[in-house]
Amino acid sequence: MSFIFARATFQAKDANYQATLKHELNTPFYFYAAYKPTKKLSVGLAVNAPYGNRLAWQDDAGTDWQGRYLIKDLSFKAITYQPTVSYRFNDIIGIGVGFVFATGTVDLNKSIPLQGANGDGTLHVKGSTSNFGYNAGIMIHPEQGWSIGIDYRSKIEMKVKGADATFSVAPSLTSNFPNNKVDVMLPLPANLDLGASYEFGKRKQWMIGINLCYVFWSTYDSLVFDFKTKTPAVGRTATPSLYEDRMIERIGAQYKINDKVAVRIGAYFDPSPVKNDYLNPQTPSLNETGFTCGFSIYPMKGFSVDASFLYLLGAKRSGTYSPDNFAGTYRTGFSIPGLGLSYSF
Amino acid sequence: MKKILFIILSIALFASCERKIDTFKVDKGNANFTTYIAMGNSLMSGYADGALYHTGQKYSIPNIIAGQLQLAGSGKFVQPVVTSEYGVQYPGSTSKYILGYSSDCKGVTSMGPVHAEGTLEPLAPVGYLVNNLAIPGAKSFHMLFPGYANYNPYYARFATSATNMVVQEIAPLNPTFFTIWLGDNDVLSYALTGGVGDTITSPGFFQQAMGGVLTALTVNGAKGVVANIPDVTAIPFFTTIPYNGLVLTQSQADSVNMAMHLYQLPFVYKKGPNPFLVADPSSLHPMFKVRQMQPGELVLMSVPQDSLKCRGMGIINPATFYPYPIPSQYVLTMDEVYKIRVATQAYNTILASLATHFNLGLVDMNAKLREFQKGIMWDGISLNTTFVTGGIFSLDGVHLNPRGCSIAANYFIDAINAKYSSKIPQVNITAYPGVKFP
Repeated sequence: MSFIFARATFQAKDANYQATLKHELNTPFYFYAAYKPTKKLSVGLAVNAPYGNRLAWQDDAGTDWQGRYLIKDLSFKAITYQPTVSYRFNDIIGIGVGFVFATGTVDLNKSIPLQGANGDGTLHVKGSTSNFGYNAGIMIHPEQGWSIGIDYRSKIEMKVKGADATFSVAPSLTSNFPNNKVDVMLPLPANLDLGASYEFGKRKQWMIGINLCYVFWSTYDSLVFDFKTKTPAVGRTATPSLYEDRMIERIGAQYKINDKVAVRIGAYFDPSPVKNDYLNPQTPSLNETGFTCGFSIYPMKGFSVDASFLYLLGAKRSGTYSPDNFAGTYRTGFSIPGLGLSYSF
Repeated sequence: MKKILFIILSIALFASCERKIDTFKVDKGNANFTTYIAMGNSLMSGYADGALYHTGQKYSIPNIIAGQLQLAGSGKFVQPVVTSEYGVQYPGSTSKYILGYSSDCKGVTSMGPVHAEGTLEPLAPVGYLVNNLAIPGAKSFHMLFPGYANYNPYYARFATSATNMVVQEIAPLNPTFFTIWLGDNDVLSYALTGGVGDTITSPGFFQQAMGGVLTALTVNGAKGVVANIPDVTAIPFFTTIPYNGLVLTQSQADSVNMAMHLYQLPFVYKKGPNPFLVADPSSLHPMFKVRQMQPGELVLMSVPQDSLKCRGMGIINPATFYPYPIPSQYVLTMDEVYKIRVATQAYNTILASLATHFNLGLVDMNAKLREFQKGIMWDGISLNTTFVTGGIFSLDGVHLNPRGCSIAANYFIDAINAKYSSKIPQVNITAYPGVKFP
């Protein structure tokens, strides 16, 4: 469970115009439960919200903002349920396979640059979907203190079929913009995860670890809207995003002060998959450098409370979303406190 | 546990409030914007939708520029304010166009520009000095024409003397900075009459007139920016009705072919779009001085639509069965289009050399309009020169709407910044209205 408080600002190119990304409040969470029927077999269920984006732009005058024809507000949430079976052949090697069930919802508003008595036309899209994928992993303990894991999670095609598309336009334009159903493709990219950790010290009180996560972002090459009822003004639109694959690098260390308390510290770098000429306000993606710290308390056997705090370095990036010729500088700064509970029987 | 949660949340909220924004640093560079004035024609006056009315004037290009220059020390920018939302009254004037519904001769109701119902502003002098000296209808040499107020009601509204030349209005204002976009009418007035009711100003005369105006503007050391002349044949007024807009069924084409054969006119018609017939005085035919239009020739938006639709204009008059060409005043022929383009090119060569001579900035509006002909994207809006839906032209097909004016203002601002090393911010074009649909 984490709370994200995010802020981003937009400064238009060559202008004194500014807007703020208001109330971005993501709630990524992670739940994991495992059961060991035998010594070698274990069954687990992970519930995870790996991707989520909820943002609403507003300009500093409090009016409809400059990028409203690209996006006004957008909420995209995906939750994955991953039942996994793992088997340990021996003390050195084990494998795990599972399948992934993902659900997603999308809800967005944008303006249409055709004006009537009440100003711009608008479009509201709301829909949900679900689909399956799989994961597979291998865990190796080559020698005392070391553990290495490799895990792959497949791409999941999230096709929102028949989302509700509601247009609000001047009466003379309604026949061109009929209320509609729309298919939206929102692929969740595949991940390849490689992690390694090493425990050392007299009490094994130290642990250091690294994690490399390769995200196959290039699967997200455009955001496609395919309207069911087609008119000269409404049809199939593909908004190119042309994401590039990226590697997320994480490093961390943990120190157990005693049996009751452990502290940890870490850092990560999550490079943006977005090219400079495709930087857009739908996902104002910046290279993220984050620092984390946290501690765990074990008040009684089997139970722990984990608290963490993530601070993202303020980042700044200038770019243009060239298909729409929308140019400016984005700035972000996030802090993500987290709280976890775990109990083992 | 509750306590921990509380502590962490407060840390997070505190951290999230910390945000740094780059602010745009306005800088006047080496220009002095204290007193800004504008000169030009209807394009600079705020004339739109076929009238000079209150809201259109508020969104005039110079008024938008002035709003930004005021961030860099410019003073109040005064326009000869029209209070009516419909236009100014003078003999022959009409109220502004709005989008509305009308029925044509076939009884078909469709959406298009219609005159708004409302009271026009009685013509009267405003009685104060104005910074926006732009005058609808004015040509380059009109600025040097004594008593021009007697011929142009828009100048009469702010002329300080009935015998003045427009350039005599400059000195009392004591300008430090100016923008000028003048000379379109030297070729546009000819084009709007289909090349028969006006003449193109000769480049020599144009050069002399513009030189005189720029001398008057710069005589006390004012700096400024000049915009050049866009190719007027690219505006919706000339591009909306295609030369081959005569759509026939097979049986209509068959009967027209029979008639043309009978009249010994060598024109062949087919099912679908066909070229309109146009008057051709040079035709050798003993009776019918007509020919078919060619690709590249332009039909003016002022052509009587009911005559085209119901009275056989452009093909055969159903009452007489005679060929019925579109009269010359509604058409620009290849020769006329060529003359317009040659003059525009000559004017722009002159304006470029005058800008250099007077050490002024230059806005290449001609190049900009060409970009819009192909279509451009700006902040997610698709903009082009298409009538009504193109997003930049007003309902008269000649003048810009407020959003078009904001774009032109940004081009002026770019040219000012380039020439005077200033940093004047552009305006947000999405804040300016386009065409309003009913």
